Amino acid sequence: MHFKANASIKLKDSTLQQAMLKAKGKFVDGRAAAVQELGNFEEIREAGKSIRNRALENLDVWLLRFEQEAMARGAVVHWAQTGEEVNRIVLDIARQYGVKKVVKSKSMVSEECALNPALENAGIQVVETDLGEYILQLAHEPPSHIIAPAVHKTREEVADLFVAAHHTERKTDPTALAHEAREVLRPHFLDADMGISGANFLIAETGSTVVVSNEGNGRMVTTLPRVHVAITGVEKVVPTLEDFSTLLRLLTRSATGQPISNYVSLTTGTRSADDPEAPEHFHIILVDSGRTKLLGTELQSALRCIRCGACMNHCPVYQNVGGHAYGWVYPGPIGSVLTPVYIGLENALDLPQAATLCNECGVVCPVKIPLPDLMRVLREKQFEGGMRPWTERLSMKAWRWTALHPRAYALLSKLGAKFLQILGGREKMLHKLPGLDGWTDGRDMPAPAGETFRAAYARYKREASE
Amino acid sequence: MNSRESILARIRANLGKPSGEPNQQEIMAVLEYLNSHPSGPRPHGEWTDLTERFKARAKALGSTVDEVVSMAEVPNAIHRYLEANALPKSGICWPEFAELTWQDAGITLAVRSVENKDMIGITGTFCAIAETGTLMLLSGAATPAATSLLPETHIAILDATRICKGMEDAWNLLREEKGKVPRSVNFISGPSRTADIEQTIVIGAHGPFRVHVIVVS
Amino acid sequence: MRVGLFVTCLVDLMRPSIGFAAIKLLEAAGCEVVVPETQTCCGQPGFNSGDRRTAQDLALKFFDEFDGCDYVVAPSGSCAGMIRVHYPDLFKDQIDVLARLTNLTNRTYELTDFLVTVLKLQAVPGQFTGSITYHDACAGLRELGIKQQPRELLGKVSGLSLCEMNESAKCCGFGGTFSIKLGEISTRMAENKCVNIDVSGADAVVAGDLGCLLNIEGRLRRRGDKKTRVFHVAEVLAGLID
Repeated sequence: MHFKANASIKLKDSTLQQAMLKAKGKFVDGRAAAVQELGNFEEIREAGKSIRNRALENLDVWLLRFEQEAMARGAVVHWAQTGEEVNRIVLDIARQYGVKKVVKSKSMVSEECALNPALENAGIQVVETDLGEYILQLAHEPPSHIIAPAVHKTREEVADLFVAAHHTERKTDPTALAHEAREVLRPHFLDADMGISGANFLIAETGSTVVVSNEGNGRMVTTLPRVHVAITGVEKVVPTLEDFSTLLRLLTRSATGQPISNYVSLTTGTRSADDPEAPEHFHIILVDSGRTKLLGTELQSALRCIRCGACMNHCPVYQNVGGHAYGWVYPGPIGSVLTPVYIGLENALDLPQAATLCNECGVVCPVKIPLPDLMRVLREKQFEGGMRPWTERLSMKAWRWTALHPRAYALLSKLGAKFLQILGGREKMLHKLPGLDGWTDGRDMPAPAGETFRAAYARYKREASE
Repeated sequence: MNSRESILARIRANLGKPSGEPNQQEIMAVLEYLNSHPSGPRPHGEWTDLTERFKARAKALGSTVDEVVSMAEVPNAIHRYLEANALPKSGICWPEFAELTWQDAGITLAVRSVENKDMIGITGTFCAIAETGTLMLLSGAATPAATSLLPETHIAILDATRICKGMEDAWNLLREEKGKVPRSVNFISGPSRTADIEQTIVIGAHGPFRVHVIVVS
Repeated sequence: MRVGLFVTCLVDLMRPSIGFAAIKLLEAAGCEVVVPETQTCCGQPGFNSGDRRTAQDLALKFFDEFDGCDYVVAPSGSCAGMIRVHYPDLFKDQIDVLARLTNLTNRTYELTDFLVTVLKLQAVPGQFTGSITYHDACAGLRELGIKQQPRELLGKVSGLSLCEMNESAKCCGFGGTFSIKLGEISTRMAENKCVNIDVSGADAVVAGDLGCLLNIEGRLRRRGDKKTRVFHVAEVLAGLID
């Protein structure tokens, strides 16, 4: 995983740049308008934060309550510590019920587990049904965004993928493309044996899983096949239906700027005399995969995340490099915090550094996760663990010493200012600075005035007293 | 320890709680909260007329809305809608509407589970939410969930007295009248849509292309 | 009113005129300005690179140097934000230090915020013929709420017209050491900012943080723009523009 190298490639990818530019304005403007329209977004945001904190502070008790309610309604609740364990559980369920075909709605947790290849290796056909995910399945690519997985793809690219997969006439109109996918995917919904969904929330009060979607594929996947498996992180539990309603107001506005998504569906229990058309089997897999490691640490607030994507939509780094540069499932600011925890800081050294700490993410986060502070916590771990390059460590040491020794500092800055002024010449501009290529490869550096403020001020004071 | 026990133990350890099962105090705190299920802050804006608010918001999200004064008028209103949109005048409906005078209105309806060929699905509505213009449907033996999902056109009949202010009011109605949540609670706010190709909104992703609400007032 | 000027390390090294502009504005408003000689850096480079201990040491050094002042003012939202918002966070586990420190950090202001909020300045000496566009630096805007203050003051500069650029609140890509560690992304962000400046048609771009200004000016010149002038807000307000 090398964010810096990936980002460099993405910056030069003109197709990606074109796609990212189109997406940026829509997300940002959409959210701003929806927040404005609500009137008391800040008040609801504060409440959302409290709800998530309440759930996390007593996470085990809420999960047990959820499990109890879900089981009382006939669901089977599984607990998985790792992605491999999730895959094992899903495969066991598939074997148990003789599953040949799976339709999936969006699940980022299943991306963490690499579930699709695991199912395919076992001879089970997997069809992604969220349009974006379907496009990426055809392209053999991972999502680059948590709610708009194919945001990096242009319509031209989608057109080519559809021609190759569907053998239809090439079309580039998004409406025609989406309707073609509808026609292709509808039969899969009808004859799949198993539907796999994620869950935006788990409701402890009722033992329900919640899927929020616009396309309706989430409803199909949780309604039509005879087996339904919901896979989600242990942190997704919320206490009550009311708490869920509060979070929903934040989620859809922050994600797409909608006051509510087209479909919000609570799924509870299995087929019964009350509901003879419901799936016969409902399995819920509660996934840890690193999540509980954050509890009780300075990073706990990251578990409040409701996966709206606003942090990445507003992040100037994400906007320019896209999600794939981040190298794992979760991109953008929240990814820069979660990925190092989930896969190991030593495997994601660039990520905590992949931000200017401009705090656009923190300002828009609907549950007030202080993302820049959390990235700083990870930077501290890197610093303390000696995980930064030796050149950086050395220059930090030198900086520390001089900043704490004012006389040396004054002397060095005096020499530096003079030297750089001379280097800047008549143009007063530095075009190349050894060791600072990162700056001067793409920018000049205005040269200093030549005399430090400190020196100039001392002279000014002397002259004034004479 | 199995995974369940390991995860629960890790949660307790990391949260600084004593090992073992949750103690009585923790459980009581949870029960107390569940029993009080407090409502969070609601959006500002006092809508005196819930029906008007519902209609405005439903339309804003792409539904179409008609209003009639009695259930007897529903078949004709639906005929008008189908006619105006050049839609087939046959489909399926929930059993509760089987007795309406569909034939007189020139509509052929079957009362059964939905099939993929069905073009029109007519459902009732448990209640609706004025805040967002949302329909709330509960699945059940007489209220199958797929009727509102597979057909290209979903027509929902809504009793105007069942329009609540917000989702919280709908939950209270559900608790009072049903006591528990059904297999599926579906909140529907307009036709199915996607924006997955270049963030361009396309109506009719996987679910209905059209959602038409008949408010019976 | 005794006001300590926290010059900031960048102003000290690169552009002393900003420090003098701040003094001129404060003195014109009747403040007694003191400039502790031993001041160096607020500690932000260390803080943002994970060196919490050095940031703490420099916070204590700041306290020793400025404690006698009624207020502390910095011509930088970034440094003022470090002091006001992050210093208390550095000592959140040391109650006694925290109490003493916050007493001072709560009296620490970014320059334009101080001029507007505390001094309620009515007039400024600066004059400028032409249009400027204002870049909202991240820390000032999102940590200290500095948005209207500089615009209000710039509105008092005779001859100056303000034209807003698109995305004025979008980060310019500086980000301290980010600008070197992830130079390519940083450059792209600076380029986006330059495009917005260019489109605004302004004669000059103005901001309240020298870091942003060096980044923006460096990119403007590299992309061949020799005409758009680049000023710190203090320089424009004080009339110290060459």
